[in-house]
Amino acid sequence: MTGDDTLKEIEEAIVRGNKERSAQLVEESLSRVDPLSIIQGGMMPAMEKIGDRFSCGEIYLPEMLMAAEAWNEAMKLLKPKMLEAGESIGKIGTVVIGTVQTDVHEIGKNIVATLLGTAGFEVHDLGVDISASKFIGKAEEVDADIIAASAIMTTTMTYQRDILEHLTASGLRDKYIVLVGGGVVNQKWADEIGADGYGETAVEGVRVAKELLSRRGGE
Amino acid sequence: MISFPEILERATRGPIMSSKDFDIKVFIPKVREVVEKYKIRYDPGTPCPEDDDLADRIYQAALDLYVGVGTYVIDTERVIQFSREEIEDAVYEAPKEAYFGEGPDRCVFKGRKADDSEIPHCHVGSGTDTTEDVALKMVEAYGRISKAKTVSIPSVTSFGPLKSSAGSPVETLAGISMMRTGREGLRRAGRPGMGIINHMSSCAQGVSTIAASNPQFGARPSDGWLIAPHAELKIDHSSLNQVAYLTSWGANLGQEAGPIMGGYAGGPEGTAVVTTAYCFHGILVARATYHLTYPIHMNYVCSTTPDMLYVVSTSSQAVSRNVGVPYYALGYAAAGSATKQYFYEAAAYLLAIQSSGIGIEDVHPNKAVVTNGALPVDSEFTCSFGHGMVGITRKEANQIIKRLMETYLSGIKNPPRGRILNECYDILTMRPDDELRRTYDEAIRELRGLGIRFK
Repeated sequence: MTGDDTLKEIEEAIVRGNKERSAQLVEESLSRVDPLSIIQGGMMPAMEKIGDRFSCGEIYLPEMLMAAEAWNEAMKLLKPKMLEAGESIGKIGTVVIGTVQTDVHEIGKNIVATLLGTAGFEVHDLGVDISASKFIGKAEEVDADIIAASAIMTTTMTYQRDILEHLTASGLRDKYIVLVGGGVVNQKWADEIGADGYGETAVEGVRVAKELLSRRGGE
Repeated sequence: MISFPEILERATRGPIMSSKDFDIKVFIPKVREVVEKYKIRYDPGTPCPEDDDLADRIYQAALDLYVGVGTYVIDTERVIQFSREEIEDAVYEAPKEAYFGEGPDRCVFKGRKADDSEIPHCHVGSGTDTTEDVALKMVEAYGRISKAKTVSIPSVTSFGPLKSSAGSPVETLAGISMMRTGREGLRRAGRPGMGIINHMSSCAQGVSTIAASNPQFGARPSDGWLIAPHAELKIDHSSLNQVAYLTSWGANLGQEAGPIMGGYAGGPEGTAVVTTAYCFHGILVARATYHLTYPIHMNYVCSTTPDMLYVVSTSSQAVSRNVGVPYYALGYAAAGSATKQYFYEAAAYLLAIQSSGIGIEDVHPNKAVVTNGALPVDSEFTCSFGHGMVGITRKEANQIIKRLMETYLSGIKNPPRGRILNECYDILTMRPDDELRRTYDEAIRELRGLGIRFK
């Protein structure tokens, strides 16, 4: 089997969410193909395909999570080899994400976190019921580019504004891109509180994150 | 039926599991398994199927799902589990009627059947974000719709100049204020006994809900309180506290659930099963005497696409045929209020649910995310539709829905914004302006042309 065939098979296994098969193929191919080529030639195209299918409604969250698991299984094998060789996979940015204080809704936030991960972001998911200071503390700790805050209710979206006010108060407002989203959140609210971006859907949120990050990089 | 204290015992003694494991290792595989086992398929050409066997298979799949999954308790990180017999007993014993309101405004909300000739329970109003200055007028306008049996009062997220936040004292004050406003609005409409069945839309937390539910502010046990789970099939102590308080008062509790199509439930087939399974959770864990469902599309954030109409139609049929509890559905239109597209989307959704044998509620414009986006005319439309379309069958509904979708599906992605209450109503008289009246009349005329009757 040629290297190209193997990469195609790895791509296929990840798209199908078959973690055992993807790990097996990666293990077999490591003697012939270098880790970075496996990631760039087989695994990344798989996640691009998954992202496209998800955004046009051909597949849903369970299929995406299975593909992400298959990716993670393969990465467990590749990471040590890359460390040995002194290689790293380029990430496009670092995101700290969570659902705001007093809000324990997580599904929308989880979808965005998964999509951001598959799009090449390093994602730090803080979970739910996260205070402004915890968002900021984590962002400082991991040197994040983006803080993404989800709120599902009209009475919890005010805590998105808290994050921005805490950032301003601590002189960190310009350091981070702040994205907001969630069931009741809309562009008007995002504008009102001074957020940098808003996504009506998970797919839109990821697109906005990429766009804002690349705009910042170009400044 | 298993008692509520026994539910609490299981919430603290059930199997320990992380929330993530519940989602990934238990919930998702079980949904996929039952969809395959019962051969549940979605046909985009049939948004409102006339298929009793499909409805019964969805019911059986939901039963299998809930036996295998149960309800996850976020605070204790444990699973409340039930045997098949316990669930079936609960379904048998669940109240098939709920009584709301007082005096001449008292009403009974019963389960219906698909294709039957009963007038559906017409519930009006909206718990969407509304500014304090118009909230009283909105409730009064809802109360004046004589065909409406019960009402939802708006969610107000301010108290004077203070903005409300979940769990804050301002939320408690906003909840109390809205409770009083709701009662006063109905009194001004001449229907002081009308049941308000969406308590407490202004409160996200159990503590503020319980505070605002004190009878001295106007709440009555003959009102209804909606107990919200977390997606999917999860509950927290805040909601269980509300159940503990309200069952001790003998109040009506409603199960509300908005499963996400495209989320953990997967596609339309899995979402129909999960939507049905919430009924078991509602009866057993939320101690519901009535049930509200509002499945929603993950990408479009509305519920008028063909897959969403399939979800709500088939799950409603599964419940109406096999459970028979008071059950109604809330739809979200992509289009903004006061637009023709809104009335077309609303008609499609109401056709799907009324023919499938459940109660009806106003379809909320603009995906319910626009402040003052709900209008009294939406409620007039709902009631006029519900009474005019008595006897509508699923077969007829499916045909009309398909023709309606031809007119609005292309507008789902970029829907018209429409106009909010302050832009198309005289707030003093609560009368719509000429432009809205024209839009409404035109929409009604065109919908009549498609075979929809209004009364």
